[in-house]
Formats: sequence, structure tokens, C-alpha cells
Amino acid sequence: MATLDLGIDQDVVASPVRRARRLGPLFWIAIGWMTFVFALAAFADLLPLPSPFDMDMLERRAPISAEHWLGTDGLGRDVLSRLIYGARISLIVGLCAPVIGLTIGGALGILAGYFRGRFETLVVGSMDVLLAFPPLILALAVTAYLGQSLVNLTAILGVLGIPAFMRVARATTLTLAQREFVIAAQALGANHMRILLRELLPNVFLPLFAFFLLGVAVTIVVEGALSFLGLGVPPPISSWGIMIGEGRESLEIAPRLAFIPAVTMFLTVLSFNLVGDTLRALTDPRQGAL
Amino acid sequence: MLGFFARRLLYLVPVLLAVSLLTFLIASLLPGDLAYTILGDQATPEKVAALRHDMGLDQPIWWRYLSWLGHVLQGDFGRSFRTGQTVLQAVAERLPVSLELMLLAQLGALAIGIPLAIACAVRSGSAFDRFMTGSAFSMLSVPAFLSAILLIYLFAVELRWLPATGYVPFHEDPIGNLRSFLLPALTLALGEWPVLMRVLRSDMIATLQEDYIAMARAKGLKPSRILLVHALKPSSLTLVTVTGINIGRLIGGTVIVESIFALPGIGRLLLSAIFTRDLIILQGVVLIVALGYVLINFIVDMLYAVLDPRIRHGHA
Amino acid sequence: MKAATRSRALARIFCVAVFGIALIASPAGAQKQGGSITVGLEADIPGFDPLKVGVFDTAASTAAAAIFDTLTYLDDKGVAQPKLALSWSSSEDFKTWTFKLRPGVKFHDGTPFNAAAAKANFDRQKDPANKCRCAFYISGIKDAQAPDELTLVYNLNDPSVNFPAIITIPSSNWVMQSPTAWKTKGDEYNRNPVGTGPYVLKSWAAGDRMVLERNPDYWNKGRPYLDRLVLKPLPDAQSRFASLQSGEADVIWDDEYDADNIQKAQKDPKFKVHTYVGSGAQVYAFNTKVAPFDDVRVRQALVMALDRKKMSQAITNGLARPASNPFGDGSWVKCKDDGALPFDIEKAKALIKDYGKPVDFKMIVTATPRGRTVGQVLQQFWKQVGANMEIEQVDQATVVPRAFMRQFQLTPWRIVDLADPDAQMYANFRTGSPVALANYSNPELDMLLERARVTADQAKRIEDYCAVSRLVNKEAIWFWTFQNTYYALSSAKVKGLPKMYSGVIDVSGVWLE
Repeated sequence: MATLDLGIDQDVVASPVRRARRLGPLFWIAIGWMTFVFALAAFADLLPLPSPFDMDMLERRAPISAEHWLGTDGLGRDVLSRLIYGARISLIVGLCAPVIGLTIGGALGILAGYFRGRFETLVVGSMDVLLAFPPLILALAVTAYLGQSLVNLTAILGVLGIPAFMRVARATTLTLAQREFVIAAQALGANHMRILLRELLPNVFLPLFAFFLLGVAVTIVVEGALSFLGLGVPPPISSWGIMIGEGRESLEIAPRLAFIPAVTMFLTVLSFNLVGDTLRALTDPRQGAL
Repeated sequence: MLGFFARRLLYLVPVLLAVSLLTFLIASLLPGDLAYTILGDQATPEKVAALRHDMGLDQPIWWRYLSWLGHVLQGDFGRSFRTGQTVLQAVAERLPVSLELMLLAQLGALAIGIPLAIACAVRSGSAFDRFMTGSAFSMLSVPAFLSAILLIYLFAVELRWLPATGYVPFHEDPIGNLRSFLLPALTLALGEWPVLMRVLRSDMIATLQEDYIAMARAKGLKPSRILLVHALKPSSLTLVTVTGINIGRLIGGTVIVESIFALPGIGRLLLSAIFTRDLIILQGVVLIVALGYVLINFIVDMLYAVLDPRIRHGHA
Repeated sequence: MKAATRSRALARIFCVAVFGIALIASPAGAQKQGGSITVGLEADIPGFDPLKVGVFDTAASTAAAAIFDTLTYLDDKGVAQPKLALSWSSSEDFKTWTFKLRPGVKFHDGTPFNAAAAKANFDRQKDPANKCRCAFYISGIKDAQAPDELTLVYNLNDPSVNFPAIITIPSSNWVMQSPTAWKTKGDEYNRNPVGTGPYVLKSWAAGDRMVLERNPDYWNKGRPYLDRLVLKPLPDAQSRFASLQSGEADVIWDDEYDADNIQKAQKDPKFKVHTYVGSGAQVYAFNTKVAPFDDVRVRQALVMALDRKKMSQAITNGLARPASNPFGDGSWVKCKDDGALPFDIEKAKALIKDYGKPVDFKMIVTATPRGRTVGQVLQQFWKQVGANMEIEQVDQATVVPRAFMRQFQLTPWRIVDLADPDAQMYANFRTGSPVALANYSNPELDMLLERARVTADQAKRIEDYCAVSRLVNKEAIWFWTFQNTYYALSSAKVKGLPKMYSGVIDVSGVWLE
């Protein structure tokens, strides 16, 4: 949970789109990996994979073979298949939860940054409440009350991400609201709705989106932590985090059970991060200048 | 300045009230209660009802909240029905552990993050910079529950340099105390330094573009002096904020590390309070943790305001 | 988690711990005085006041075995031997038991241990006003009397042949606590226990170390051997074993779900694996009032689909011993025919087909790695015969209320290792009992349970309990997966660890070589 509000209000100053620097090969490798993982997860049902649930209890922790490309896990299930189906859970949670944060947090942040006053105090105050409240308690209570499911898990992680998105959106809006093009629009008599939607939103969106990609990375990791505490998706489906947690119990006998999902997660997080960073560099003058 | 302090301080009151109310509401949603924990296989409806009555759990929630709040305002956070410990005793035992863990973890994170941030900022845009900023963040993707056990195998089981688990109070054995904290602090630091590094790096890049740095260069000052004296200090404002936030937030947020290394911190206290439905402990500890969080943030805000006068004048 | 449930949630909630034997007979002269050991337990200890904690879990019992004494203890053969009581006798009908107490024993606070103190312990738990959960386990005892300083009499409602063995458990019921201490300390007593035991509580930081020091005035001269015991909760199984490997702990609690580490320790001469086969089993209850379990065919089919051997192999590397009845090899109830349903996939499929409707249900599983594993294996077995089980993960504190409110279709439960099966069998299967989770009623079953509890003749009781097992197995209202086996791992230099009755690691009599 340690990383939920990486928000960090380093006021991301958006400037209307700058000339893109060369994106570089790393960027495209990252995009390639993301596409690859997405495609596997999306078309898992069409692939000639063994069932991720069927156990061969006498073939536990089997080594890599033609039948099981990545071997079998502690209950004799095909690791490759579980990895691919696990990608679904990790990506669903990893993408949907930050969308909740992006939508609600982003909207609150823009509104707070634009209207200021009491509304801003209220929003910032509620976010402080959310931040001061131990996130683990929230997660435990919600799962205990509503039950454990993919939807509930996603919702919890989404809510926990709201303050971070709010901060980014508000900080950006605060800066933008004093810029010429907004002031000009106001002077021309544009109403609030128009300024928010036509002037502010497009400019706030890019830094928010860059932050969103980081949020995806963080959420995938936090999902693993929650699963370790028994708050993840119910079995037999599993995420990468659950697989790492299970593999951890046989680190000495079959270390690959923990390391294969860990490396997959590492590469995926790295990709999201590289893409997020590159997008951010496009909007952050401080990075481009030197 | 004083007015600003007072306003910020006053602002904490509604935040804390809201946290405590939220805790109460959330706790009341949980299925089961302490009566079931205590009664176990004897939890017949009559016994549960009688015990709930004894513990006051049969009162309406608003009444329980108000009476709890009344006691808290008089400094009485209550006493667990299960262990007989008062909330203050429980927190007093465990807070030092959590605080020390956090401080050491942050120090570790700063020790890794600051040099790397400087190195990246100096060569910003280079391959080294791009690689570090990219890969640093994905260091987060190694879950603490994996890195913790790997560190234990390496440093405790194989090399025998450090203890695998346990906690030694500082006043008993300062060296042993530090040794027992090294691995857990390192585990946490591995998840913290990338954030600190990125924050400092980006602020430092901005600072390095300032005119006075160019002037210092022109005057022929040594580059290391420019970096460490002239650039680092003005660049570390955000870093201070983030470090403060992290320390506050991680108190109570490190339950995995506490469990694996068997450290008696606030996180495990909260976890067991919620698993046993020990609401007195839960409410009291959440409030104290929240208080710690907002106070640390308050101090950081003040520090920030002192360092950067613009804040005081409305650019919050 | 079902089985896992056993280890954490339920064990914790209603494990009645058995006392280890502090006084194990061992060849004189072999024991060395001095030294200290650290014991890694699985959970935090909440405290020792029966009115607060109800019953002790296995972790608390390890501490209780060192701080307190019981009247009697079980030797390695399972026979009751004198401890705080020197001798005992019973009336002809086994309904009155008279104990002669050891003279000159003092609590750690200096107050004397005598019949009045023992009676005060009993009365405090029995008093309805105190609403102690512990009262359930002494409900068969009418009262305790102290006719003189060193004579204690228990009057029972029904005959109990095994009474001196039953009271060997270092549970909240049978350890002798200082009445003066609980009266003067009030709320603080729970965490400042005072007994007559070989070790005295020196310091205790919640969630961390409990330090016990040698009691210099212990009534058994020359005992204990160690100067100091340190008890620590080490909640994570992997780092607990790593602590044993790296020397931070000398003895650790373990269970068969940690089979890799147990087997590693078995192969390593630096370590010793202690194991004890107890009575009882890891069990599961069907709610027979709700579909599809209101139909006996479905219940039987699910039980027949279980390949316990394979399951043991998959989950515990084959360490767990399959159970076919609720008593287990560790119990004196041995049945020629326990009526266990055979493992028979074809028959199970046929029964489900016969039932005609789809078999879909939810099973409660505790949200722990072990719970998840067991749940998934069961799910797999049942899928093979055409039953569709959905795993519902809940946290530990939710299992008990859900069970009591009958808000489940299938729930894990636990039958713990006790010297006599009566308390648990009666509670689990007698019509109307709050723990009769299956909601099942059968006059014959009730009759057998009623008769077995008041019969003095052990052979007849065995017959009745075997009949109970046959009936429950046939009706498949509960089922059992594995017997209770308890594990402790220690460094090879730790000597004198007794049998782990009820899974309690009793380190009060160990010494270092």
C-alpha cells in the first residue's frame, strides 16, 4: 500500500504541446511488450493453452517441458497458462482502478483548482481524510463487508488512488488558470463549462494521463500486496501478485514459481513507466530543456 | 505568519473528526464483532447478546461515537476488552518501533535516491538518466513480501550477518537494535527510493537552469560544490514534503514487513485489531495514526512555508 | 483454507490447549542447568485471564505451561501423573473426585497455593455472572469443594473415568492462577499473570517478546533447567523457519502446510523435528437445511469424490494423514468399522446424476494462503464429479459468526485434540447445540451421544462413538480430511521437549546440551 499516492505534487506544468523529441527505441520496445501482454490476455481463450485451473496433483512443481512450457506450480497447474490468465486480472485491476482515480480525482482536482474557495477547501480536506485513514483498514473493511471480488478489489484500489490524481489535476489547473489563454477566454465571456471543457481539460489531460500510466504500474504492485494479505480476488483465478505470493512458499525448491511472474510484472511495470515518462517529457519543459 | 500557523492547525480538527467518524462507520460495517471473537465456539445468541451488552456494543452507533469522542477529548482512549491493555499503552509500546522503522527506511531511501538523482540531473536526457528513471520506478514492482524473504535468505541464513527476525529495544542494546532494523528498513527503502529520486531529479534539473548556477559556473566554482551547495538545497523542497508524507503515511502501512520480520509495530496492531474486531483498539489507533499523519504534514507545511515565503502568501 | 482454517482461525478461537508435560521423566544427570532459548510461536498471545480471553490458543498455552501448573500432567504414555496434586481417588460411580494437594507450594506473588485457591479458580469460571466462555468446558462439573487446606473435591454431574487426564491440559480451565493477583490487578491481570509454575513473567511487550525467568522458589527442586525462556510471535512461516536456520529461534511452531521446511529440517542433523499425532481432525460441515445439501446424495457424492491421499500429497508433500472419522489415530476411540465412505468417483458421479439438478454451491474459506490452497484442491475434486463449488474467502473473524448464524452452505471447522471426545462430539452433533452446524437432527444420534457421555465403561463408550461415526459418515453431514498432527522444529541441542498434547509446545522442562 506504500505507494498509492505517488501523486507527488511536483507541479506538472503543462504547456500546449511541444515538439516531440525522438521517442527512442526503448519507447517502442515498451509499447511492443505492452501490446504483446494485452494481446495474450485478451485472446487467452483462443490460445492452445491447458486450463489454468486443472491440477495434476502428482506432477507438482514439474520442470519446464514440451507439455508445460514454463513448468507447473505447487498444485500441478500449468504456469504459462496461469501467467497469461493472471495477466487478465492484473491488467483489469491495474487499468480499471486508475481509471476510477483518474475520473473522480481528475474531475475534483480540475474543479477545485478552477473554482477555488470553499469547494477547494472541502475537496482538499476530504482527500486529507482519505490519506490520513490507514488504507489497509479501508481495504479490509470493504472486503469483509461486501465480499471479495474483482469488482470490489478494483473499486478499493480506485478510491485509494483518488487523492493522488486530485493533487496532480489541481496543481496543473492552478497554474493553467492564470495563463493567458484561460484569462483571454474569460475576458471573451466564455462560461465556466466552456472554459473547463475546452480550455482546461485538454491541457490537464496529458499530465494526468502520464500520471495514469504510473498509476497502472503502482496498482498492479499494490494488488499483489493486498492479495498477500488475503484480500485479493477469490481463487481459483489468480493475479501475478498471487502467483508471486504462492511461489514464495517454495523459493528454495522451485524459485522460478516466484520469479517468472515477478519478472513478467517487472517488465510490464517498466513498460508502462517508460511510456508514461516519455509522454510526460513531452509536457514537462523542465525535462526537455537541458 | 502566526495567523497562517493557527489557520493550518485549526484545519486539522475537522480532518481528524472526519477520520474518527469514518473509522466508526467502517467498523460498524464489519460482520461479526468482538463478542464472537471472545466467545468462539460458545457464541450462542444469548451469550453474544449478553456480552455485547456488557461491552456496550448494543447501543446505537451515534451514541457510541459520541461517548467515545467524549472520552477521547478527556484523554481517555479506552481499554481493549480482550487484552485489557489501554489504547495508549498499546500505542506507546508499538509506536517507537514503527517510527524507527520509518525513519531508517527513509534514511535508506534518501541515501540511495539523492546520489542517483544528482547523477541523473547532471546528465539529464542522457542514456544513463533515461535508464535510471525508467528502471528505478519498476523497482517498485518487486513486492516487499518477496524482497523481504530474499534479503533474509541472503543476509541472515546464508551470510549470517544480520538477524532474520526480531526486535531489540534500543535502550537494551543499541547495536542489536540497529541490526534488527537493517533488513526491514532496507526492504522498505527499496520501495521508496525511486519516488524520492524522481522528485529530486526533476527539481534539480529546474534549479540547474537558474541564472545563479550559470553565474557560479562562470565564476569557476568547483562543479561538486555547485551541485551540493548551490543546487541541492534549493532543490530539496519537494523532497522534504514527500519524505514527510511518506513517514506519516507509512506508520501503520507496513504490516507486511512487520509480519515477516516479526517487528511489533502499529501495522500488526491494526491488523489484529481488525481481525479480532477489537474496535476500541482499532478506533483509538486509527485516530492516533491519523493524528501523527496530519501533524507530520503540518510540520512539513510549516517547514515549507519557512523555506519558501511564497507559500504563506496564498500559492498553496 | 478450510484446512488452513484449522490452523489459524479456528485453532485460535477454540483450541483447548493441552499442557505439555513439564515433568517428563528423563534419566537423571543428563540434564544441564542454565542457558536460555527463544521459541517462535505462530501468533500473538492476547493474555491469560480466562474471563478476558476465554480459552487459550496454542501460543498462549505454551506460555501458560511455563508460568502455571496444573493439578496433574500426562506422561509420554498418556497416563495422568502428579503435579500440584499428589494423589487422587474417585467415588465408586466416578462422579466425585478427591485430590490431595502438594503442600508448601507458593504462587509467584508469595501467596500460598491451597484447596481454597483452586476452588476460587473454579468458582470464578463457573460463576454465571462472569459469562466466561471457559465455563462450557467445565459444565459437566457441579462444584468444587475445599474441605481442608490440602483437599480439593470436584463433584461431577455425570461419571467421568478419565477426569485426572482431562485436567492435565494447560488451558484456561485447569491452570492454577493466583486469586490474590487477579483481585488486586483487575484489568491489568490479563497481561501480568501469576502462577506457581517453573518460570516467572519478567517482561512482555505486546506483539513481541515475552521474557520468562527461572522461578528460584519452584516447588520441584532442581527444576527448571533453563535460566530464561523468550517467547516471540513469528507470524510468517517462511521467516519463522529462516529464524530457526539463522539461530534467532531455538524452537518454532510449525504445521504440515509448511511441509517443504519440515522435510528440510528432517534431513538436517542440526535440527530436530518433533511431531505428535493427536486425536481430532480437520473437518467441514454441510448445512443440511439448504439446497443442495438438503439431499443426502449430494453430500455423499462430494465426500466420495475426495482423494485424501492425493490431496495430502498435493498440499503437504504427503505429511498429512487422511482421516476417516472424527477421532483419529491419536484417540482411544478405535473403530473396526467407522463407516467411512469410499473414494469412488464413478459412484459420486452417479449420485449427482441421480440428484438430477445442477450442484452449485459456495464454500467458506478463510483468506489465508493455506485456506486458498485447500479450497482450490477441493474445488478441483468436486469439479471432476460435476459439482461446481465457488470459493468465498472471508477473514478469520467472520467464520465464527457465519457458522453460528448458519449463513453458509459449507464451512470449515475443527475438532481439536482433547483427552476425551465427549465435549466436542456432543456439541457438534447433538440436536439443537449451537455448534451442531449441520442443522441435522436424528434421535438415534442424540441417544448415542447422551448414552456415551454418562457411561463409565470405556469399551461401551467406544462402541457408541463408533456408531456415531458410522451414522455421521453415512449421512455425510460433516466430513473429515486430515487427522491432527502437530509439529515443532528445534535446534538439535534442545532436549527434553515432551509430546505436544493438543499441539502445545511445552518448553518448560527442556534443557540445552
